[in-house]
Amino acid sequence: MTSAPSTAFLPPGLLERLGGLELIAKTVVRGFQAGIHRSPLRGAGEDFAKHRDYQQGDDVRYLDWKLYGRTDRLYVREFEERSNLQAFVVVDTSASMEYAGAGGVTKLRYASYVAAALAHLMIGAGDSVGLAAFGAEARLLLAPRARSGHLHDLLLSLERLAPGGSEGAADVLDRVGVTMRRGGRVILISDLLEDDGGEALAAAAGRLRARGDEVMVLRVLTPEESGEAAPDAGLFFDPEHPAREVPATPRLDPGYARRVGAYYAALADRLRQRGVEYVPLSTEQPVEQALVAWVNRRRGA
Amino acid sequence: MITFGTPAFLLAGALGALVPLALHLIRRRPPNRAPLPTERFLAPDPRTAVRVSRPTDLLLLALRMLLLVLAGAAFAHPVWFPAARGTREVVLLDTGTGMGAAWPQAVAEARRLLLGADGKPRGELVLFDTIAVPMRRLDARSFASLQATPPTGAESRYAAALEMIPAATRELRGADSVRVTLITRARWAAWSEGLSALRRAAWPGAIGLVSIPVPPATDSARGDTAAREAIRIAGDARTPVSYTRAALQATGWSVRDVPIADAVSVEGARLVVVEDAVPAPLAGAVRRGAEGGATVLVTAPAAASLRGLIPWRGTLRADSTGGAMWLASGEHIGRAAVRVSGDAAPGAALIASWEDGRPAAAARRMGRGCIVFAAADLERGEMTMDAAYPRVVDRFARGCESPGPADGDAPLDAGARAVLHGSGPAAVAASAIPGAGGGIALGRWVMAAALLAALAETFFAYSRRSAA
Repeated sequence: MTSAPSTAFLPPGLLERLGGLELIAKTVVRGFQAGIHRSPLRGAGEDFAKHRDYQQGDDVRYLDWKLYGRTDRLYVREFEERSNLQAFVVVDTSASMEYAGAGGVTKLRYASYVAAALAHLMIGAGDSVGLAAFGAEARLLLAPRARSGHLHDLLLSLERLAPGGSEGAADVLDRVGVTMRRGGRVILISDLLEDDGGEALAAAAGRLRARGDEVMVLRVLTPEESGEAAPDAGLFFDPEHPAREVPATPRLDPGYARRVGAYYAALADRLRQRGVEYVPLSTEQPVEQALVAWVNRRRGA
Repeated sequence: MITFGTPAFLLAGALGALVPLALHLIRRRPPNRAPLPTERFLAPDPRTAVRVSRPTDLLLLALRMLLLVLAGAAFAHPVWFPAARGTREVVLLDTGTGMGAAWPQAVAEARRLLLGADGKPRGELVLFDTIAVPMRRLDARSFASLQATPPTGAESRYAAALEMIPAATRELRGADSVRVTLITRARWAAWSEGLSALRRAAWPGAIGLVSIPVPPATDSARGDTAAREAIRIAGDARTPVSYTRAALQATGWSVRDVPIADAVSVEGARLVVVEDAVPAPLAGAVRRGAEGGATVLVTAPAAASLRGLIPWRGTLRADSTGGAMWLASGEHIGRAAVRVSGDAAPGAALIASWEDGRPAAAARRMGRGCIVFAAADLERGEMTMDAAYPRVVDRFARGCESPGPADGDAPLDAGARAVLHGSGPAAVAASAIPGAGGGIALGRWVMAAALLAALAETFFAYSRRSAA
């Protein structure tokens, strides 16, 4: 049974005023930890998991002699394996991620909050976390590490991300797959506005899944882009293709939100078909609230 | 009450104010351009390619309209009349030529206009002949005194009177209107002369005219040949050719030449023409003739011998500058051979001028007659060949006569008519001297307000542009 989180989540605009990304990450994680019921990102420590019947070849050090005394049967204690998995956070820095909507933070900034919070959690759990970005080009910024000072480097790299370019995510995912050990975790944070409709992205994510990696795609979008709010203009252009202008009135076009929704629904289907987890996020939503909702949804699932 | 000297500018300003209004309403401009990463999902809507801007900048619009209206109003010469105290009167009373017989009637008219039933003055009285003098005190007694004083008989200069109007009206500030009345025996030629002075002065209104009818000639009736007998006294009286004699005869005079001698009688002659220096006994005879009612015309060569008699002052130095001689009626003759320097004596009426404006002939009453001095030799020079020569000599021969019908009947020129009808130079005059006629000119203040509006418009426009 789940209960509603008691923490008042901080809206992105307020987080932005907190200052450095390290403080933001800590704040988000505090809110996150207060909101979740059980962390799915455990893996470190010597936590007991279950008993099983002893089998020949098992390490006798794990025999539960007390239970043998009571039941006269040999059981072996099993512990949750210390994960120490390798993870890569891949952040989209294409030009479209600079978009902020009315009065909000940019999508890149929001993606940085999410990346920082997740990195903070995973490094705290003993996992190795690396950072990659794509926009102007695919870049592996930091190799996965779990040492305590690595989080600082990672947050610094996140702070330095600058938007630009229109590179797709497929290339960087492939490069991450080459770099990372099998069975790792890849978290892609992007608006997923791919020129090919996400075909290459889904294929690359599928290739990672085929390697045994866990792939999560966190889609970041503003309310203006999703159609929940109407942008105040009459002539629009794609930041990744500025020469292309469209005179339009989204406020008077009910089909706009539907077309946006259909695009992402199709992409989500393609990703799910490949075993990739798809998480839609909105920049108007508090980061820790979004993470809590996601984690709780996973637990429910 | 505010009146406008040139209301067309006000109308132009009001119409001009519609221009920024129209521009604010109809200006089309491209719509705001904004990034949107999901642009690919938008349905193109060509209607939004241009945007009709609404008059959202109402403050700027109001300032721009105000600026144009104020500028138009400033150029329209607004005059504020602070209080309505009724119409005040300025009466210009001619004390000059020809007012003699009509003087009681003229003074009575002035009194009727200026003294109310309570005996209090309702305006200003200006007396004028060659100069204009405002009368300080206005009551029944002063009018009685004025009536008892005969007019000066000097030449009436309307210019002098009209130039006094601004000063007189300034004394009446506060009245909502001022009416000027000119009481004179109208001489339109002199009127046009005065009009130029009026154009330079300030007078926002019409001028009323009380024209005193020309009285019947008191001197001998014209056309009576017997009464138009002239004696010409000249050194060359025996010569057969005399231009003066010919001119006089051409204009109806019967001329008798008399040689210069000590004992010459001029009795019975209506005109005595002295063309050369005369001995003292003859000068005395000439004086007696004038006092007896004759007109004595003295020309330049005789001036020195009659110095004490002629209405002239100065050195009487003759030079050969010559020039054209103009009568007040506009008649003129050119190229005199000799010209005598000097000026008309006090009390003398100027009856001709040189083209440069200096006096050329003057007349003054003497006893029952008149002395006329022509500052030229009327027998010499090409002027004698001029077609107008006989008429000029005849005018001199008429001496102190009031202007003839030819002057009085001359038609008014357009400028004079405009003044009499209250249009024409009135508007121009209103701007020349602030407050004339009781009003206070507001043009410069309205212009200052327009400049303030312009500054405010610039400031707000700059602020808007910076904010954008």
